[in-house]
Amino acid sequence: MNRVNMATVASNYNPREIDNTADVPGRRAQLVTGNQTYSSITNMVCRVAEDPQPLLWYVLFGFSSLIAVMFLSLIGYLILNGVGIWGNMNPVFWAWPIVNFVFWVGIAHAGTLISAILFLFRQNWRTSINRASEAMTIFAVVCAGIYPGIHVGRAWLAFWLLPYPSLNLWMWPQFRSPLLWDVFAVGTYASTSLVFWYMGMIPDIATYRDRSKSPLRRMVYGLLCLGWTGSSRHWLVYEKAYTLLAALAAPLVLSVHTVVSFDFAVSQVAGWHTTIFPPYFVAGAIFSGFAMVVTLLVPSRAIYKLENLITLRHLENMNKIILATGTLVGLAYATEAYIAWYSMNQYEGFTFLNRQFGPYWWAYWTMVSCNVISPQLFWFKKLRTSLFWMVVICVFVNIGMWFERFVITVTSLSRDFLPSSWGYFRPTMYDGLMLFGSFGIFMSLYLLFCRFLPIIAMSEVKGILSIENHAAHAHDDSHGQSH
Amino acid sequence: MSDHKSRKSNDTKMPKAFGWMAEYADEEDLLVAARKVRDSGYTQTDAFTPFPVHGIDEALGIKPTILPFIVLCAGITGLITALLMQWWTNGVDYKYLISAKPFGITPASIPVAFELTILFSAFTSFFGMIFLNQLPRFSNPVFTNPRFDRVTDDRFFLYVNAADKYYNRESVKELLADTHPDSLDEVLDDSTPSTLPRPIVLGALLLVLAGLIPAMIVLNMRASFSNLPRWHVFFDMDFQPKKKPQQTTTIFADGRSMRPQVKGTVGRGQLTEQDPFYLGYDPSKLSADDASTTVKYVSTNANQDSASQVQASTAVQSMPAQSPPPQGAPAPTPALKLPWVDKLPESIVEASNIEANMKLGKVKFETYCSACHGYGGFGDGLVHKRADSLAQGYWTPPTSMHIERVRKQPVGQIFHTITKGQGKMASYASALNPKERWAIVLYVKALQRSRNADIEDVPVDSRSSLDNELNVEPTK
Repeated sequence: MNRVNMATVASNYNPREIDNTADVPGRRAQLVTGNQTYSSITNMVCRVAEDPQPLLWYVLFGFSSLIAVMFLSLIGYLILNGVGIWGNMNPVFWAWPIVNFVFWVGIAHAGTLISAILFLFRQNWRTSINRASEAMTIFAVVCAGIYPGIHVGRAWLAFWLLPYPSLNLWMWPQFRSPLLWDVFAVGTYASTSLVFWYMGMIPDIATYRDRSKSPLRRMVYGLLCLGWTGSSRHWLVYEKAYTLLAALAAPLVLSVHTVVSFDFAVSQVAGWHTTIFPPYFVAGAIFSGFAMVVTLLVPSRAIYKLENLITLRHLENMNKIILATGTLVGLAYATEAYIAWYSMNQYEGFTFLNRQFGPYWWAYWTMVSCNVISPQLFWFKKLRTSLFWMVVICVFVNIGMWFERFVITVTSLSRDFLPSSWGYFRPTMYDGLMLFGSFGIFMSLYLLFCRFLPIIAMSEVKGILSIENHAAHAHDDSHGQSH
Repeated sequence: MSDHKSRKSNDTKMPKAFGWMAEYADEEDLLVAARKVRDSGYTQTDAFTPFPVHGIDEALGIKPTILPFIVLCAGITGLITALLMQWWTNGVDYKYLISAKPFGITPASIPVAFELTILFSAFTSFFGMIFLNQLPRFSNPVFTNPRFDRVTDDRFFLYVNAADKYYNRESVKELLADTHPDSLDEVLDDSTPSTLPRPIVLGALLLVLAGLIPAMIVLNMRASFSNLPRWHVFFDMDFQPKKKPQQTTTIFADGRSMRPQVKGTVGRGQLTEQDPFYLGYDPSKLSADDASTTVKYVSTNANQDSASQVQASTAVQSMPAQSPPPQGAPAPTPALKLPWVDKLPESIVEASNIEANMKLGKVKFETYCSACHGYGGFGDGLVHKRADSLAQGYWTPPTSMHIERVRKQPVGQIFHTITKGQGKMASYASALNPKERWAIVLYVKALQRSRNADIEDVPVDSRSSLDNELNVEPTK
């Protein structure tokens, strides 16, 4: 077959030359660099799954799958022994499991935001990063979903959350509870994201199928892509469905963390009972999700040599969004504190002073320095285009966002209205290991995804390349006419 | 569909042709060729491209899809489903009273309604796309062309189907050849056998059968009975690390999990068990002879201290040897001899209370006792009359309050009978509190006296009126 061989790709590849971050007035920056053709894009992406994986992949996968196995064993241990193995104790009954749940659900927001909202705004730079971030979304929702499932105590009865005509209970869920809204919101988000992700992959899996050498691979990918032919009649319906899904997923992504924030905001606890929670949570979710995407994509593009597709400009754009949402989050912290003072409500006022100077002062100031101060460094172009510094800052952002949920959940509960019931939350070893373990699940799934599925939406990148090529032609033509 | 038709009609070695397929390296060439084919009047055409080519729908004359309308209908269905579900489950079938908030559709129904609208629409978008595109379709004649593998890479194909009403093999070939394609091939029927390889069929069959096994086991269990204890996959709260009464333990030297009362302590409600007001007899006057009976009726008495407890327990063990078991006889237990209280409690008969208590006793007697014992206490209540009329033979008639034996009973014993029950009569301790029970005793005593009175019982100043009444009788 007439394939572009590896040597051609290798000669195209030189990441040092790539800097498409400069903005030239009147000219759009290239989103695909290195003089790519359709077939070179196909080669670059398919190589990730077709070539033997680098040694690093095996090391990482071995490590993260071990952690994942540890996590699953701990879940088994938890089910056998009960939630008493965690540090959850009066008065802090919503502790690390809920913090971890909100943390992961927040991270899960970036994928659909990139796929849906940036799609609706015709932000073409989304095309090379949307697939990996959608995958990340799914895996983060998997991690998030585990925690409420095991936090209910009798995890084998977690299906009681669903409204079904039960023969044992003879009752229905309470639809006025935000916790039930959460079941619907997270359930809808997980399933819609999965459908969105899978539908986006169908044409690219067809590419994998058509390049497969072994009959088994060809059959599996053939089944997965449902016999996709690239028919224009199919493409028409497909694009319409994709636009519809994007239009549906955009409000959905905003609603999910809104509903998660209702878990807190609808209660009466000081520090939770505020109307700012929905926008504040959504901004925080986008913030942490983008940080996680950057943290994953920088090593991925280096390992799989995808610098021409996931260019510095893509990363810089994401860092700009991190800067914007980080500033929003900082504004939300300031607004919360201001309202606590301005409302003259002694309980609100106390809660915020307690957060800043109470027994959890260290968590509060970790949160502020990671979430408010560190993203401000992205004002400097040197830092937001430096691979090293952007990863460092993004890791700090995610640490900070974990602490944000910790501060909200634990400080408010540990000191509520009744001083006689105050307490201090102490996590156990299992709390720590089960947070760490969820990263094992997440990383294992992400590495398997890189190994077997198209990590870049090839068909979409080719569409962008087609537009760019024609724009370049038009540009050349106009030059020709003027001279 | 056309697969089957072709195989039936065409048994010759020449495979059936499905149309012509031209290959281009650039989407612009494809668009030009597509417009040409459309302008020649062909409608059964298609283009195959690695990405959605802008303008191809117009160039091929593809009509817009109805998918958005299907999705709209699904969204409305989702919304209505969510609202009806919340209204019916929480407002009709199982009403939750939460802070007096209204039932049915409220602002609190919005989040779930929103999510279900999205859920239904999103799934319909996806499955609608699958349905409208007639996917999955794994066997497709276009795949027979080996060059077609590059359709998902960098090549663009234009296809004119033989099903077109203007189709003519030669003229279509000529038309496509004029567009300067990189290659031009006829799409032929797939020559490979269409049946799945046998191992795959067998494997799939085995998988399906194996998948049915758990369902069969469950169905079998639901439809049959078993004497074995149930399986506890999860223990829930059926087994707990705790000791129940009457179990043994290794923690304490005496091996009991129930602990004797600690010396010098008083249990909750224990004081009432020492008070004649609650018992009908005076426990402090129990004689040594009564010890065996006492243990039987007043178990907590024996717990006063460990020494007497040991004594009492030996008494219980030795009891069968000493005396016949009191519960052996089905007849009323005349053997029960306790130091009965023979005067009504002071609080009942106090001058200021006695009238109210008498009325209370009457009300309670008529509520609880008269059904069997009758309003007059003669044992002729409605229950008795009904049982008597049925003449079933095993009915024990209720005792009359006015027979010699009952009239001689001390008030404490009547109280005790109400409290503990006797013969077929059940205990009324849970229905009547001690004061009400004593009030009934008071009323019973009054009934008894009213039926067995002589002139001495009538106050002196009332005797004359009694005489007058009697004088009315004509016989006098």
